[in-house]
Formats: sequence, C-alpha cells, structure tokens
Amino acid sequence: MMPEILLQYEAEIWRSIGETFIMVGVAILAAILVGLPVGTLLYLCRKGHLLENKAVFSTVNLLVNTIRSFPFLLLVVFLIPFTRLIIGTAIGTAAATVPMAIIAIAHYSRLVEQSLLDVPKGIIEAAVSMGASVREVVFRFLYVESRSGLVLGLTTSTISFVSYSTIMGVVGGGGIGDFAIRYGYQQFQTELMMYMIVVMVILVQFIQFTGTTVSRMIDKR
Amino acid sequence: MIRLHQVSKRFGDSEAVKPVSLTVKQGEIYGVIGASGAGKSTLLRLMNVLEMPDQGRVEVNGQDLTSLKGRKLRDARKSIGMIFQHFNLVANKTVYDNIAVSLQLAGYPGKERRKRVIECLQFVGLESYISKYPAQLSGGQKQRVAIARALANHPDVLLCDEPTSSLDPNTTAEVLRVLEDINKRLGVTIVIVSHQMGVIKSLCNTVTVMADGGIYETISQKPAGVRDVDHNPQYFVDQLVQDGETGP
Repeated sequence: MMPEILLQYEAEIWRSIGETFIMVGVAILAAILVGLPVGTLLYLCRKGHLLENKAVFSTVNLLVNTIRSFPFLLLVVFLIPFTRLIIGTAIGTAAATVPMAIIAIAHYSRLVEQSLLDVPKGIIEAAVSMGASVREVVFRFLYVESRSGLVLGLTTSTISFVSYSTIMGVVGGGGIGDFAIRYGYQQFQTELMMYMIVVMVILVQFIQFTGTTVSRMIDKR
Repeated sequence: MIRLHQVSKRFGDSEAVKPVSLTVKQGEIYGVIGASGAGKSTLLRLMNVLEMPDQGRVEVNGQDLTSLKGRKLRDARKSIGMIFQHFNLVANKTVYDNIAVSLQLAGYPGKERRKRVIECLQFVGLESYISKYPAQLSGGQKQRVAIARALANHPDVLLCDEPTSSLDPNTTAEVLRVLEDINKRLGVTIVIVSHQMGVIKSLCNTVTVMADGGIYETISQKPAGVRDVDHNPQYFVDQLVQDGETGP
C-alpha cells in the first residue's frame, strides 16, 4: 500500500508531477521545433559544409555557447524581463517554460550538430551528385542517416531538462524538485524527500530506456 | 560528351589540378590512372562540378556546367551518374529506398518508381535484395546497388571514382562486368578513375595518365575485357609462384 505520507500529500504530488511534465514537455517541443533547425544550421554553416558561412556560424555558435555557460539558476533570473515580455508574468509554471525552452534549444542544437557531423561526408557528396538541393540533402539524407543519434541526443537532453526543471521553484514554477525541496527538505520530512527522489529516478530510467530502445530500433547501420 | 577546357583547381597552397583539357567521346569508356595525389579524383569531381574549377570550363552534353547555378546545375547533375570507392549508400535506407531517392529527386512519377527500381536492380542482378539494408550486403553488392542508383535516372554519363578499390578480386570482376554491360547495352559513356592497372586495362578505350595534377599522356587501347577470377585455391598458389620465386 501507499505510505501514509504520500497519501497525505497526494494532490500536491500529482500537481507537481504535472508541472514537471509541462516544463519538460515544453522544453522537448522547443528542442525539436527550434533546437533541431538551429543545430542543422550550425552543421550546414560549418567550414567545408554545404552552406559554409563563417559569420552565421560564429554568431550562432557564440550564442549557443553563451546560453550554455550560464549557471541555469542565473539564466532563469537573467531572463525574467524577457519572460515577462512574452508571458506577461515572470512567476508560475507558464513563466518557467520560457527559460526551459531557451536552455533546451541551446542544449539540443549542440547535440544535433554533433550527430550530423557523424554522418559520413560521402553520403552528402552522393546526394549532391544526384542533384539534391540543400533542403533535400537535409531531409532525405542527413536526418535519415543520423536519426538514431538524434534520438539519443534528445534522450540525453530530456534528462537534463528534468534536472533543470527541479530549480524552477525560484520563479514559482513548481515541479517535483520544488516539491521535494519545500516539503521534504525545508520542512524536515526526509522520508517525503526520498520518495520524490525515487520518482525522479524512475522518470529518468524510463526516459533513458525509451530513448535507447527507439534509437536501437531505427538504427540499421 | 565531356569536354574540359583548361580547368584547374587549387586547395590552399597545393595545385590539385593544373590547367587540363580533355575530351571524352560519346559511348566510350575513358580511364584516368595515376599515383595517389596525382589529382585524378579531383579531375573526376570537376566533371560534375562537385568541385567548382578555379578556372576553365566544364562542358557535359553540350551544356557549360561552370556557368550554371542553383536549380539548373542540380538538374544537369541528374543526368550524370556517379559512384564512389566507399559506395556512399544511406545505411538507414533499404536497397529500394536508396535507389528510389534518386528518382524522387528527379521528380520521377510515383507510380512508375517501383517499376524502374526493379528494372535497375535486375540490371545489376540484385532484385532479390530489394528490401535489405546495405549492412546486410557484401562490398560488391553495395557497389552494384550504388550503380543501380546511379543508373535509375537514365544518365548519359557515369563517373566512377575508384569503383573497385575497396573490393576483393572476385567482386571487382563482378562490378567491372556490370560497368561493361552498362556501356555496351545502354550506351552510357563511362569515366573511370582508378589506380588499379587491371581495371583500366580491362575496360577502357582511352586512358589518360596523370602526374602532379597534369596530364602525362593519353593513349588509345583495345580493352582487354574482364577476366574471370578463379575461386580455386590452386589459383592463388599459381599466382604466387608465377614469378618464379617462393620464399624459404
């Protein structure tokens, strides 16, 4: 049966799990919708690649590095004015998704770039020799050949997003980590804190297992 | 069919190809041989402007490729097939999809795609491998799939960059026979770059010897034909002993 302490906080626990899912979910969406194109742009603009462009590469590269070098807590604080501009408030789960999305884009775009760099250059050459446009090279060759790496990268990123989400309590974002700190740590309910850690471990295991399985299934190399 | 007018290419400080002019005639098999670093692969890549020449003009089928850009250049490339030493198949696509993609790029009507893919696979003798992945094929089979891919779009020219250099003698013969067939039965003009004398001798009508990025000499010859390779172990022994000496 469920330990009593979990029953006692059941509603809050479910709510905090929901908040974590929202924050991580938005981060995953941002990673796929923006991080993937940004990572592809980094790859394409690199020296010796299809759209070689030093200015674009250096700018995007610097931006990605800068975002990733912020301690995440400071990035959240730093982004408060921007968050307020977009969401209308800097407090709450919705507001917390803004810094989550920003770090997600920077994090995943780098992993995308790495995965694409693993695609043998000969394949790109073959594609170009067949008369493929840059767009066709990306969608019909690059993404097909790097798909297992892209999935593994997204898995690694997602697990980082879960970790990032735990400190969103500072702007009232809630989530499992915030719940564990406020109810478990700050109110000296160590048992409750441990249970929350177990929830996080299970979540991360599940993400990793799913990612590894999917990536293996689609890898025919 | 292919005309290079004083084309040259530099990579940084090194001159990969010095100003070179040559003509490949319609329907012939043209060989380029030379030591590694002689510029033969670069020369081949200039023929479909995979490498844009610094100077000079590249003319294929009466079209000046060096003056083309964007869509027009991509369209021109669709009638120039190319195969590579390392095959360059997409490992995550089946044999079918590897060939079909070249038809998709060319805007080949969807309904006829499957028929054309099967036709090409029959030509290289691999129709039963249609749903396999490249990792399940031998080197020779991979190269034949690459040839089928290059043929799918009815090219006028087939460029071959060291097509047999990572294959063993048996599969080399198998690939060379397919190339010979393509030239004879389909009338496709072929350019082969190789450092293997046997390959050049067995197939080519005209051979250019390259050295230091330039043409050393161009000669006409009668192709010797593709020789059968014996699977018998005694064949290897005979080959070893042929030169009259065996070790201690």
